[in-house]
Amino acid sequence: MTSEQVLAEIREANLSYLMLAQSLIRDDREQALYRLGVSEDTANLIGALTPAQMMKIASGSTLLCRFRMDDDVVWNLITSHGKGAANDGLSRLHASILLAGRHREAA
Amino acid sequence: MARNKSILTEARQIERAVTLIHLGARLQVLESETDLSYERLLRLYKEVSGKSPSKGQLPFSTDWFMTWQPNIHSSLFLNIHEYLNKAAAMDEIDTVIKAYQLYSEQIQAHGLEPLLSVTRAWRLVKFVDNGMLTMTECSKCGGHFVTHPHEIARHFVCGLCNPPARAGKGKLAGSLQMGRSDVTVAAH
Repeated sequence: MTSEQVLAEIREANLSYLMLAQSLIRDDREQALYRLGVSEDTANLIGALTPAQMMKIASGSTLLCRFRMDDDVVWNLITSHGKGAANDGLSRLHASILLAGRHREAA
Repeated sequence: MARNKSILTEARQIERAVTLIHLGARLQVLESETDLSYERLLRLYKEVSGKSPSKGQLPFSTDWFMTWQPNIHSSLFLNIHEYLNKAAAMDEIDTVIKAYQLYSEQIQAHGLEPLLSVTRAWRLVKFVDNGMLTMTECSKCGGHFVTHPHEIARHFVCGLCNPPARAGKGKLAGSLQMGRSDVTVAAH
């Protein structure tokens, strides 16, 4: 990918993210806080963005959203290929419980 | 807040009741969470669900939440509930409703059946509120799981890090077998 392509792809991803986030927030604000993992203040800001503002924020060289899990435990659970299909559902459920328990970022 | 007979308040309560009925709540939940009269709730229930509400007492024991499979479901729900509780200011019952919707959505995304009914979820929150149940951090994975109070946190290992020997046996080992309550008996 040329750097031009990279920037275009990032803008595209950012824009999709912002549009999805905004529609989630407008649809059900409280559930959106859980789905997006953002604070109430951030949700208010995203909810109030105009299309022009979105375009501006979306164009940059970095992505706006990032991973919600940055530790080995959750990571290993969702990528546990080795354990076989039987355990797969259980691992993903385990990961869901761990992720749902992380509200430090949101508070 | 004063319980005034405002039409707006009533509309809000009816809306809440309808949501709860759609989620499959028992009549006792509606009675406790709205100011609508029993007769009106009964009529509403029939109108929304097309059938009479089930009779009989609500499950009152905390034991159900301790068995292996229900514990996993309950823990997922309660984690979501706590998340919403911390992240957003809402009426208690709205937190339960929204958390339950997110829970059943997530369970279905895993291809499972929501084992926890909305009535049980509501009970669970009540049990936690009055200290009959709590959440304890697993010493292995760090996740929070529904337990009896005074669980020794240092030694507590959750049912997912350390599944009981017979959990999920009889079918594919390790997978949650849904709709088979006989499988869950193995937990104690």
